[in-house]
Amino acid sequence: MTSIRARLLLAASTVLLTFVALCGAALETAFRDSARGAQEERLRGLTYALLGAAEPDEKNELSLNDANLPEPRLGQPQSGLEAAILDEAGTTLWHSPSVDGEPPVVIGPEVGKWKFERLGESGPFALSFGLRWLGDQPRRYTVLVLESPEAYEAQLSIFRHTLWTYLFAGSIVLLLALLLVMRWGLAPLRRLEGELREVETGAAPQVGARYPAELTPLTSALNAMIVGERSQLQRYRHALGDLAHSLKTPLAVLRGLAGDARLADEPRRQLDEQVGRMQSIADHQLARAATAGRRTLAQPINVRPIADKLVAALAKVYADKNLVFSVEMPDGLTARADSGDLYELLGNVLDNAAKWARSRVSLAVAREGNALLLVAEDDGPGFPDDAEHLLGRGVRADTRVPGQGLGLASVVEVLSAYEGRIALERSAALGGARVTIRIPAA
Amino acid sequence: MRALVIEDDAALREQVAGHFMAEGFVVDTAADGEQGLYKATEYPVDLAVIDLGLPKVSGVDIIKQARKKGCTYPILILTARDGWESKVQGLEAGADDYLVKPFHKEELLARARALLRRSGGWAHSTLESGPIVLDTAAKSVQVSGTAVDLTAYEYRLLEYLLLHAGRVVSKSTLTEHLYAENVERDSNVIEVFVRRLRTKLDPDETLKPIDTLRGQGYRWTLPRK
Repeated sequence: MTSIRARLLLAASTVLLTFVALCGAALETAFRDSARGAQEERLRGLTYALLGAAEPDEKNELSLNDANLPEPRLGQPQSGLEAAILDEAGTTLWHSPSVDGEPPVVIGPEVGKWKFERLGESGPFALSFGLRWLGDQPRRYTVLVLESPEAYEAQLSIFRHTLWTYLFAGSIVLLLALLLVMRWGLAPLRRLEGELREVETGAAPQVGARYPAELTPLTSALNAMIVGERSQLQRYRHALGDLAHSLKTPLAVLRGLAGDARLADEPRRQLDEQVGRMQSIADHQLARAATAGRRTLAQPINVRPIADKLVAALAKVYADKNLVFSVEMPDGLTARADSGDLYELLGNVLDNAAKWARSRVSLAVAREGNALLLVAEDDGPGFPDDAEHLLGRGVRADTRVPGQGLGLASVVEVLSAYEGRIALERSAALGGARVTIRIPAA
Repeated sequence: MRALVIEDDAALREQVAGHFMAEGFVVDTAADGEQGLYKATEYPVDLAVIDLGLPKVSGVDIIKQARKKGCTYPILILTARDGWESKVQGLEAGADDYLVKPFHKEELLARARALLRRSGGWAHSTLESGPIVLDTAAKSVQVSGTAVDLTAYEYRLLEYLLLHAGRVVSKSTLTEHLYAENVERDSNVIEVFVRRLRTKLDPDETLKPIDTLRGQGYRWTLPRK
């Protein structure tokens, strides 16, 4: 049971249904008892009426005149109401005309006692009364009144129907109310979920402050975590920068030593080679570690200022070439990426283009659905046929051009953290190289 | 040429300084940001090589302040943090180029030379003025296609004058930029070198490439190509 909603709903509806079932059963029992009581009362009244109308006949037996019946239904066959007078041995002395055949045999109660029962599971109700007729010679009789249960059953069935219909409708209404209450009660959680998603996509920097008291500790802890994570990354970056600094300066010294003419050629060559290896290992690890990658809590970054800064910087570095840079992108285009990573991506791609371009470098950034599309083109010689090798670490297209062969390799490094793609082609527009980068969901 | 090297790592600082000295530069060094800032703003500098990660005052701040005080010499930044963000910061602050550690000596010197001629208004690595061609990469000089043999000091003087072609360069500026402080500054030496340079470049006295402006200094007169 992973959903709070499902838990609450299950628990509440179980309680509700149990309550409704018990309530229904109790009401039904109470009603049945009372209907049965009413039945007995009616039959008792009828018994008194019968006794009032009864008198001894010619055989000095207690009997009733059929014309003198206290209840007309007793005179009608199949009316469902029957009466009989039995003697001590249980022999029928008289029965009402409504009796079809012989009245059922009933063990009579003691004198002066009532006995109310139901004959069989679905048989009629029977009330018998034992009496002693005080006359010339006192005799013992049993007055038996029977009524078929149809009216009682019908009444009970109507009651049942009504009862359960109302209980069912009531349950539905209560369940609906419960759902609404739950919806209202859990609304802050849903809102929190939405806000977290916004933070994740970078639409919001933090979770908002207005939450119920129960959730406030959670939201403030979340906010602290978000802030902590951001500053953690900053610290990590700085630590890496320091590490790079402290490693690379001695490497630079060693590299300088490799150019020292006082050393023999072979050690110099080896020194240079090993320093190169150490450098590329350090670069590789640092680039990998420094790449923030798809950070779930990254704030959206405005791309244009970064591109403009890089273009201004590169225009300065390649001032000799008088390059014309063009940057095309919609205003306010944002990317969900780390700004350091964007600097690396655009910086390396633009630097590579500027390095080789004769006069023009163009950058186009656009959004393609959820993906970010970066296209850099130049009018240089373009990529050699085995261009994919350029993507390997430290391979340069042509070592005559000074610069880090790393350029595109670190682009690949950053891209792998973003599940991005890079394609090297010939530029149709400028005739040189064309680098296309696609970052999904950025 | 006078280069200022601001780098906190002693070994690297000495090495870079050594590379420049071997190239005929006069080199000043600074080991921290404070000292660096002072030298960058108070010393005669033709080129500064500044490490970005410095103690006390950061490289970026030195560059900003030097530019604010009107220093226009080219600045090459050295960075170990090869992140583009830091490069862009340095270049935005006023640096002209960057070099990522570790680097080859040749790359450092090539960048430095390129920055120097760029700041002198030259577009190519060979400085051509009239029939005189100075190849900064090969350190060779030709007049009308014939190689001219110059001493190191003569070459440096010629390079300096060519890089500042059309501008008046005083004798004291020349001594400042061509000689280290510990060398005795005698303006006569400059006169001697100028005379020798004239003889070697213009034996017939037809070109007259170097003007003497009395009391002011010298000026390269031939037009740049």
